[in-house]
Amino acid sequence: MKPGLKLLVAGAALAFFVALPQLITVKYYLHLSVLALVWVIAAQGQNLIQGYTGYVSIVQAGFMGIGAYSTALMGLHFDLPVWLTILLAPCVTAIFALATGYPSLRVKGHYFAIVTLAFNMVIFIVLMNFHQLTQGEAGITGIPKPGSRDGWINFRDREVYYYFVLIVAVAMTALAWLIVRSRVGQTLMSIRQNEDLVGAIGIAAWKYKLFAFVVSAMFAGLAGALYAHYQSFINPEIFGVAQSLDAILAVIVGGSGTIAGPVIGAFVVVFLPEYLRFADSFRLILYGLLLVLATIFMPRGIVGTLAVVWSKLERRG
Amino acid sequence: MNTMLTKWTAGAAAALVLTGGAVFAADKTLDIGVSDALTGGAAVYGLPQANAVKMAAAEINAAGGIAVGGDTYMLNVIAYDDKANPTEASNAVRKLIDRDGVKFILGFCCSGATGAVASFIENEDAVMLVGNAAERSITTREIPNLVRTRPPADYTGAAAGTFVADKGHKRVAVLGALDVGFYASYVDAFEVELNKAGGEIISREAFSLKDRDMSPQLTKIREQQPDAILVVGYVEPAAFVYRQAVELGIDVPRYGFTSGSEEQFLRVASSEQMEGVWDLRPTELTLLSASDNGIAYHKNYSDTYGIAPSPSSPYAYDQTYALKDAIEAAGTVDDTQAVAAALRELAVPDEVVMQYLPVDGTMFDVNGQAYTSNGAFQWQSGNWVFVQDLPSDAAAYSAFLSTID
Repeated sequence: MKPGLKLLVAGAALAFFVALPQLITVKYYLHLSVLALVWVIAAQGQNLIQGYTGYVSIVQAGFMGIGAYSTALMGLHFDLPVWLTILLAPCVTAIFALATGYPSLRVKGHYFAIVTLAFNMVIFIVLMNFHQLTQGEAGITGIPKPGSRDGWINFRDREVYYYFVLIVAVAMTALAWLIVRSRVGQTLMSIRQNEDLVGAIGIAAWKYKLFAFVVSAMFAGLAGALYAHYQSFINPEIFGVAQSLDAILAVIVGGSGTIAGPVIGAFVVVFLPEYLRFADSFRLILYGLLLVLATIFMPRGIVGTLAVVWSKLERRG
Repeated sequence: MNTMLTKWTAGAAAALVLTGGAVFAADKTLDIGVSDALTGGAAVYGLPQANAVKMAAAEINAAGGIAVGGDTYMLNVIAYDDKANPTEASNAVRKLIDRDGVKFILGFCCSGATGAVASFIENEDAVMLVGNAAERSITTREIPNLVRTRPPADYTGAAAGTFVADKGHKRVAVLGALDVGFYASYVDAFEVELNKAGGEIISREAFSLKDRDMSPQLTKIREQQPDAILVVGYVEPAAFVYRQAVELGIDVPRYGFTSGSEEQFLRVASSEQMEGVWDLRPTELTLLSASDNGIAYHKNYSDTYGIAPSPSSPYAYDQTYALKDAIEAAGTVDDTQAVAAALRELAVPDEVVMQYLPVDGTMFDVNGQAYTSNGAFQWQSGNWVFVQDLPSDAAAYSAFLSTID
């Protein structure tokens, strides 16, 4: 696809997302859209480490949890403004990511995935058992929304919060795009293709991998913070391994190693299980089946498949 | 011919009027929602609750529906699976309110999912009726449009502690799902009362919902030689604890807080392995202790679903009748504030199964919390047998609950 056309598609997508609240007649779908946009941010982070660097990390939801609990606890205990805690949440997550990323990235492939899985489980157990700080399974309620009730923008309004998260999601998607296009991004993709060769030409691959891992975690931390202030409630259940697998799925289904892929994948991961509610107890079986079929028949994800179809059409035309 | 036609017309008109009234009455449908764990580990509590609401709705419909002003409403239940997951529960409730237009939402077996919904329900034009979820904080915020039929876990834990202390046990080992908030609060309240009588908890060993091999924890407990063990947790892991305690030769009284039915326990442990086990819990449904309502509920549920009801399922059944009475008292199905206020003023309905202890004459106190009596049940020859009431001061606990922010 030509760059001009890509820009046109991106612009049309943005216009669609801006107009979405006006097109939606049932507010429930607006609620799902807010959640999907939160997942767009987390999935863009996941895509940096998984899609562009080639390392499958299974700790994205754990990092979302750190971001969510950081913003909630900083607000509750230090009485910091919501805006500040949202900004600090990715920074706190980055510190944890640095501590976990350094040992994790000493191993590759499946071993890396298993180590990060273990970290997610550790985060979950700590959130569950450190009652004095996290209130365990009961969770933290009453997490405030940004702004005051009498402020000129009412963030308690779902539509306003949608636009707020949309702005952040667009900004983070743009940031991911800038990273990918930069020299750092090119190095990350080189690591994905052949890490040994990258090392052989004198590039310290571990620094770039650590960068991707930490930035990925910061995306997740920010997503977690936005989730916490939207739902006003968090407990550890939301940040388990199953949710980390959702982040991986969002990247795979949407299109690994593409900027648009995580956007589409995040919406699929949030909306599909909800659309399948008509199937009652067969819902998750159907969900799993659809994902298996999608992975088999669309290994490059939705974006990759569309690109193939488009190039075929272009050749015929 | 004309006379004949006139007679037919008059007859048809009369028939229209007569049947028309019935058609109009039948046309009024009130959708009520259920958000509960219909699948997954917590479905042992959630699915029976959803079934109980459907059964109560069918009974109410068969008895003529809910009378509001001159209208009669038939109930239609829309149930969604929340898998006891907070995000799923939020999505399910948002869907019920925003898409399905439901104003009354029942069910809620599990605390995490319930806490998530409770965090935003105050801002919604809806009434939330919580069932089995026992986490105390759900009713400490005095949310005006939320009520709960099950008492908090620490209300029962304190009564259990007194009971075990009265049995003369001084050294009690605890094994349970201690990472789950309401089980931990049960044990904390239990410990306070045990300490008052000079007893102590000598160890706290934990298991998770999916654990099946409890022998490491039980072996450690056996070495500590406790006077008794206390097991708190979901039915299935608790049943494994009881079974494996016998297999490891631990011969001390076993107390628990599980609310499992006979059928649920017998899937894991034999009746011989369960013999003598105590369950110290709200006086929930067991056939041998049930009132006439309880016996009828047990029979109807068994006939309808082909399986015995879980002991905690009537919390949801009772919600439905409380809602019916509140709607009739408020005289509206549209004004949720009026219905929520009517719930707070409601006397205990005649049809309920649980044995509620009214506070100031009402089923729900100012916090929206209902209280049942607590009871000591013992497994005897394949059944849970009600042995005695546990001390339950609903008024005092209600006053205490009001002091918690």
